[in-house]
Amino acid sequence: MIHNLLAFAAAALPSVAPLAPAATRLASSDAPLAIRARSVWTGTKVLENAIVVVEDGRIRAVGTEVEIPDGAEVLEHEGVLTAGMIALHGTAGAVGETRDSTRPAMPEARMGIPVDGRSADFAPLWNAGITSLLVTPDSSGITSGTTALVRTADGKVLRDPAHLSLVFSNEGLSSNREPTSRSGALALLNELFKKSSGVVADAKSGKLTCLFEVRERDDVLRAIAFAKDRKLSGALHGAWLSGELSEPIRDSGLFVIVPALGVGTPKRALDAVVRLEKDGVVFGFGLDAPWNHPDLLRLSAALCVRAGLDSQAAWRGLTANAAKISGVEARIGRIERGLEADLVLWSGDPLDLATRAEVVITAGKALTVERPNQNGAKESK
Amino acid sequence: MHTNVGQAALVLLAGTASAQDATLPARETLLVRAEHVLVSPGRVLDGAQVLVRDGRIVAVGTDLEAPEGARVVEGRWVCAGFIDPWSALGVGGDALSEVNATAATRSIDGFDPFNLDHLRREALRAGVTSARVQLGPQARIGGQGAVVRLVPGLAPEEAIVSDASNLWMTAGLSLPSGQQFVETADGVQMVSGDRAQDPFDRAESVERIVAALQSGKNYLIAQNEHRHELEDWKKKVAEKDAELDKEFKKAKKDREKAQKEATEKDKKFEEKKFKDEKKPQAPRFDEDNEVIARAVDGRLPLFVGVERAAEIRSLLAGTESLGRVRLVIAGGSEAGFQASQLAERRIPVMVWPTPLGRSRPDELEAHDLSLAGRLASHGVTVLLGSGGRDPAATRDLPLLAGLAIAHGLSRDDAIEALTIGAARALDVADRIGTVEAGKDADLLVLDGPPLESTSTVRFTIASGRVVVTPEN
Repeated sequence: MIHNLLAFAAAALPSVAPLAPAATRLASSDAPLAIRARSVWTGTKVLENAIVVVEDGRIRAVGTEVEIPDGAEVLEHEGVLTAGMIALHGTAGAVGETRDSTRPAMPEARMGIPVDGRSADFAPLWNAGITSLLVTPDSSGITSGTTALVRTADGKVLRDPAHLSLVFSNEGLSSNREPTSRSGALALLNELFKKSSGVVADAKSGKLTCLFEVRERDDVLRAIAFAKDRKLSGALHGAWLSGELSEPIRDSGLFVIVPALGVGTPKRALDAVVRLEKDGVVFGFGLDAPWNHPDLLRLSAALCVRAGLDSQAAWRGLTANAAKISGVEARIGRIERGLEADLVLWSGDPLDLATRAEVVITAGKALTVERPNQNGAKESK
Repeated sequence: MHTNVGQAALVLLAGTASAQDATLPARETLLVRAEHVLVSPGRVLDGAQVLVRDGRIVAVGTDLEAPEGARVVEGRWVCAGFIDPWSALGVGGDALSEVNATAATRSIDGFDPFNLDHLRREALRAGVTSARVQLGPQARIGGQGAVVRLVPGLAPEEAIVSDASNLWMTAGLSLPSGQQFVETADGVQMVSGDRAQDPFDRAESVERIVAALQSGKNYLIAQNEHRHELEDWKKKVAEKDAELDKEFKKAKKDREKAQKEATEKDKKFEEKKFKDEKKPQAPRFDEDNEVIARAVDGRLPLFVGVERAAEIRSLLAGTESLGRVRLVIAGGSEAGFQASQLAERRIPVMVWPTPLGRSRPDELEAHDLSLAGRLASHGVTVLLGSGGRDPAATRDLPLLAGLAIAHGLSRDDAIEALTIGAARALDVADRIGTVEAGKDADLLVLDGPPLESTSTVRFTIASGRVVVTPEN
């Protein structure tokens, strides 16, 4: 076991040439693991040259003056240690199981049930430093069920149900079953919320948060009004320009999930995200995994940073705030004593796209990430 | 009042001198100071200065002083402006969708210095100062590309770096264009990309490309033969002239004698004629073959858009006998299979390192962000471009280069791809691509190392004009 850990410690040093040819999963050691990184981004602050001690899958200590416990394995790393990233909107592991377009409402369909932990969809995610994914039902009808937060390293469902999905966009409309219009959809949603059992009752009582599927800005306003009337909490997903309504959103107390942003995203959409932060709205980023490329998640944040978003705020959107939106802020998303060890060691600043995830510590294991071909001799020209 | 009139006259004069935009910053004498100047890939000068005058880099050194009246611009890093060798920014949308382009069609004729100026400004802010634009990128035998500066409103003579940088052909860039954003009055929409091309179409395209090149080669041969024949003819005519010249006196006497005899005998005098050497006829002029012949002769780089292994293999086989052609593969998703041949024949591959995702599962295997790094590790020269589909993507080329680095390309190779590598492939290396005296002053002043996504461009200088500042 010691041997294994040392081997992966060596592999984690960026300067060491021969590296693991493929992703290797290393069994967890019973001994505590102390990680010393050049920089530790806890989610609330940045610590230089700090140590994080992990024991029994939990974070035992964080700081620059931390004492390394006796018998601990030590992992020295020249890069940055952060919490694992959380992608907030996808279907990886449950492809084909997130849509039932025949019925207008399926509130009790739980996305935690069809998730296949062995799915090949997950490896590209944790290889990119994404340790959790919010699996969401499709926007069909007025609701296609509830979301579930899944750990990508082992497919374990961390939270199910996480949100009740409610569709306010035209994606839920159909020409051959109700609802066929936005006003019809709203009438059906009103009807649905007369129910006093199951997930609807949980949403009404505040036990379950909601995921409001929106697209246009008027969808956002209708969702806010609906939430306000019924005292619902949760997050708005899908509107590129929701930031242009940051004040009403902030007043509603709802969170925002920014859909994955691509190459060439108009500046207007990026400026809208910057406004969310400026006006104090808690937001995270979606990733339509497995259809979107995993790197699109960090690209989304990097685009916003270039448009003026504070980089730590962008990073919180990928970690701490995403955990808050998923209702798991007491378990993951930050590097804090007592939280689960769900960490990523990066080769450098994780908001520099040239940086890559090198070691992922999650699910009680340390996983080395497959490294692409290096330029070998050309590297040192 | 007098001064005002004077200023107005000056502005008027400047206005008549060229068709520049009134909001365009003027060319200035600049001293650019930085902690690190990236002169060329792998060559960093610490604590250095760059002197710029009349749009050119005049000097680069570590002890340069600001001349009187020069503006001083400072930052942590300085490097050459980035070049997007595969952009859709610079020509109008009609030129981009042109399907009837032929080799003689020139992208520069569709150049629009005002086209999408908000996207140009964003590209300049991101550090991309010039781009290769290509009219009719879907055309099998397309037209000639051009390299232009992205500064909005720049007069053509200053904006155009090369009016014919390459010839373009394509055998099926069959990858989807991915998801694209479209701005509408209501906001921002996303639309999905186009369908793949039929495999038989692609195979036929390669054959047509090779046939076109052969025809260009035959044209070139015919042209050369004609030139030689013409030289021979001229030589023969000259020889005859000389001969006549030499025997002039005798000939004159003979003629006078013959003339006299004719008069005496009352006969008609007939002038002795020399048989003319028949002037060789020039081959029929063909505007397309004129251009293809230049590509075959290596005077015009040839860019071929091709993604799949089968087509790349046929293209390489079909161009093997054309020893001088300077081929560049654009796309090249499956170029890895031919990496050693590409390295040996020094054929660069222009990669589009964009995270497409799996919306088209059949296309994913090929389109992999590690392509650039894999090719470079085999010694293939890699260029990086924003794909030539979406004009907005040019802004994000430095981020795409970052992704290519994360997936295995070295930083030096990525910098080279975005600067001197692109300039070399487009035959403009004497003008742009490095921070050296004599080159055009296209410079970036950054607050961090170039190509780190977290570095911000503080100043962008294009042909000696400070077009981006932290304030604007």
